[in-house]
Amino acid sequence: MTSSLFDRESTIAPPGYNRFLVPPAALAVHLSIGQAYAFSTFNLPLTKLIGISHAAPGDWKLTEVGWTFSIAIVLLGVSAAVFGRWVERVGPRLSMFTAALCFGGGFLVAAMGLHFHLLWLLYLGYGVLGGCGLGIGYISPVSTLIKWFPDRPGMATGMAIMGFGGGALIAAPLSLLLMDHFKTAASNGVLETFVTMGVIYFMFMMIGVLAVRVPAADWKPAGWVPSERPQQLVTKANVLVDVAWRTPQFWLLWGVLCMNVTAGIGVLGQASPMIQEIFSGAVSPAAAAGFVGLLSLFNMGGRFFWAATSDYIGRRNTYMVFFLFGILLYSLVPTLGHLGAKGLFVAAFAVVISMYGGGFATIPAYLRDMFGTMNVGAIHGRLLTAWSAAGVLGPQLVNYIRQFQIDHGVARAQAYSITMYVMCGLLLIGFLCNLAMRPVNDRYHHRASGQAGLRP
Amino acid sequence: MKTRMLVLWLAVGIPLLWGVTKTLENALKLFH
Repeated sequence: MTSSLFDRESTIAPPGYNRFLVPPAALAVHLSIGQAYAFSTFNLPLTKLIGISHAAPGDWKLTEVGWTFSIAIVLLGVSAAVFGRWVERVGPRLSMFTAALCFGGGFLVAAMGLHFHLLWLLYLGYGVLGGCGLGIGYISPVSTLIKWFPDRPGMATGMAIMGFGGGALIAAPLSLLLMDHFKTAASNGVLETFVTMGVIYFMFMMIGVLAVRVPAADWKPAGWVPSERPQQLVTKANVLVDVAWRTPQFWLLWGVLCMNVTAGIGVLGQASPMIQEIFSGAVSPAAAAGFVGLLSLFNMGGRFFWAATSDYIGRRNTYMVFFLFGILLYSLVPTLGHLGAKGLFVAAFAVVISMYGGGFATIPAYLRDMFGTMNVGAIHGRLLTAWSAAGVLGPQLVNYIRQFQIDHGVARAQAYSITMYVMCGLLLIGFLCNLAMRPVNDRYHHRASGQAGLRP
Repeated sequence: MKTRMLVLWLAVGIPLLWGVTKTLENALKLFH
């Protein structure tokens, strides 16, 4: 019975099934794993497990705790790349269930690490196991949504990936609420919060596991007729995952995603100190936290808005907007800072971060346009290694450039100017990658006989 | 089918709306 529940065949939707039941199933998973973006709420409490109200000798250092998130993000990319083909083969239900076990279980293993005060167990639980849950959960519903919404693939995947951005908005206040609830004289409440969140997220992800359905092979939306007009960058053919990553298009898209994410993630991680240092004395720490919250909202909203817009203006044009508009806004930021134009500064970053989120959400539909629907989930998984690379590159770049300038006598308020121009350079590289995009050569296409296209 | 649709959308919509509201409350401090 258990095996039949998870069989791909048992998830095939009956005739008349309403496809709008699938996005909330995907959202249940993405809203859960999006918690990762709010992991920083645990950073300080994790350094006070022994001292409770202050860091005592023997407590973990902030730099040690900080590795937990980095390991999880690296494992996200690695597991998405490694398990992508398996996710395609077994279907969304079993892969979403595996993600729920890994993510929920990761919290529980990490809680054991807190109980025994073993840092490696925290890394193993939240970083490795939780990271695998992030990667598998992230790609699980993507190809299913693309198959359900062939007429609006950008909107459909944007809706799910918006959930990943929205997950942090739920997790940040929820974590604070739970830690406050469980706090006693003997515990700062983090351990109990980890256990509770592990159980809550597992159950919430199970809603998605039970609700998800795949369309029948010959299913099409009622009244929808695929366009017969050939579109230069939208293929009707399919490219298999092991062939796709050998095409120049895959690496150009890797560059597009990596540059877009590097530029955004570097700023997102430094948003709070940045606005306080640029508008020194005019922005309090509480207001800076408000700025971070505002950026999170635009990060989430941009995912849906830009991915849905890409269905109308095309994927390549959408990224052209990201890169050109991004270069313009990043280059304006130092001037806005010098002028003290706080409102315009905030608005510029809100738009920039909306395009950062939009970059994540539009990439699955871009992949579908270039490589077809057959292996799009697995190809997406491999492309997410660009995110892992950007997750390391972006914050390091911003931190290093800022510190280098401060060490050389540049005032803190001006220390971000060079960083913004470096971000413009990164976006220019992304722009050139996108500009070079051409349709995939026919020789890579999957043949109807079951053979992959000719090897290059 | 309609009830199921409503329940599913509410299940994901309510937590999301709660998170957005909490974040907006926080974000408004920027303009005070």
